[in-house]
Amino acid sequence: MSMLKKYGLIALIAGGVLVALIFFSLNIPRNREANAIERSVLSIMSPVMKPVSKISFFIADIWDGYINLVTVRQDNLRLTRQIKELNARIVSDNEALLENRRLTRLLDMRETITEPTLTASVVGDDLSNWFHTLIIDRGSSSGLREGMAVVAADGVVGQIVKVSLDNSRVLLLTDHSSGIAATIQRSRARGVVKGKGDGLCSLEFTTREEDVKVGDQVIASGIGGVFLKGTPIGEVSMVKKGEYGIFQTITIRPAVNTEHLEEVLVILRGRYE
Amino acid sequence: MSRRGAFLLAISILGAVVLQTSVLPVYVDSLFKPDLLLVIMVVLALRASYGTGVPLAWLLGLLKDVFSGLYLGLNAFSFLIVFLVIKSVADRLYAESGFLYVITVSAATLASAAVNLVLLLLFTNTSTIAYSMVSGLLPHLLFNAFAASLVALLPLFASVEEVA
Repeated sequence: MSMLKKYGLIALIAGGVLVALIFFSLNIPRNREANAIERSVLSIMSPVMKPVSKISFFIADIWDGYINLVTVRQDNLRLTRQIKELNARIVSDNEALLENRRLTRLLDMRETITEPTLTASVVGDDLSNWFHTLIIDRGSSSGLREGMAVVAADGVVGQIVKVSLDNSRVLLLTDHSSGIAATIQRSRARGVVKGKGDGLCSLEFTTREEDVKVGDQVIASGIGGVFLKGTPIGEVSMVKKGEYGIFQTITIRPAVNTEHLEEVLVILRGRYE
Repeated sequence: MSRRGAFLLAISILGAVVLQTSVLPVYVDSLFKPDLLLVIMVVLALRASYGTGVPLAWLLGLLKDVFSGLYLGLNAFSFLIVFLVIKSVADRLYAESGFLYVITVSAATLASAAVNLVLLLLFTNTSTIAYSMVSGLLPHLLFNAFAASLVALLPLFASVEEVA
């Protein structure tokens, strides 16, 4: 009896292990079909598992779709604001880059001018369609006087015609009233560049005998003391020599696009007496 | 002129000058720039009395000259002439009509350009400007008429019986 007590538990455990092993070995699948036990348990559990699973998914949906989204609106607003800020920064950076390029070119031009100069920004355009003037943000308080030359990175812009304390008006070289003594760079033929009003200029008083060709560079001759000798004015775009007349008809495309000017240089010399 | 009328006029003039010198040139070609001061002057010619309108029309032209071209007094003179012509017939016109206002602005544009051209040819050495003025007159006329039609749509245009 005592021996049974002593070894009974061990025998029971060993028997159990053996039964489990036999059970396992008997159920090593020859095929994948569920046996009776599996089918029974699955059948019993199925009605319970289905709603529990639905409830779990429902809770998960609530969690992901609502509770987890409490801060999404704030996130959305914050991100939208960040996008706007970044876009504004990109635009500002691009603008600064372009401004830097323009000012670098203007600085290059400034270094070629021996006379003192002053940088000014264009703040307004002419009110009427017939005249071509610009308003710049420098006036007599900055030392500007009527008659001073105005240039840009590419060449001649015009001449100051009206000066107030903090603003000045610049008569563009394309205006009908404008006249600048000029020279053809290649042949040294002389003439006067006058505005034609349509964004182009003409070289007047150049005799038929002078050598002028399309593509020739026109520069300021320096006569008159307003514009520095050699400052680019434009390029010859058309030459016409009629059968009669002393002079030839020459059209010039200005070097500076006055429609999109933003910064100019005023040469602080020369003025109307 | 009532205080409200004077205030509205001052604001309109200031807005027109700023719009035309600093805003519109950035977005539209110079050929398609309306003459807003002329548009305002025509309102004055149709609604204001001689006593108020004559000096104001001259001053509007002078203001335009300050921001345009070389010749101070050119537009002042043409505005004055155009004002007097419109004013002389304004009593016989239905001044509250928006359509008539657009027609009057168109006529004033032509008349102003003609007076300017005559003065420039008579007194200055810019004969070549005639070509620019004639070639640019049609778009200028159309845009002035367009600007006038927008002004005529303003509720203020219909509500203001008399500027002065």
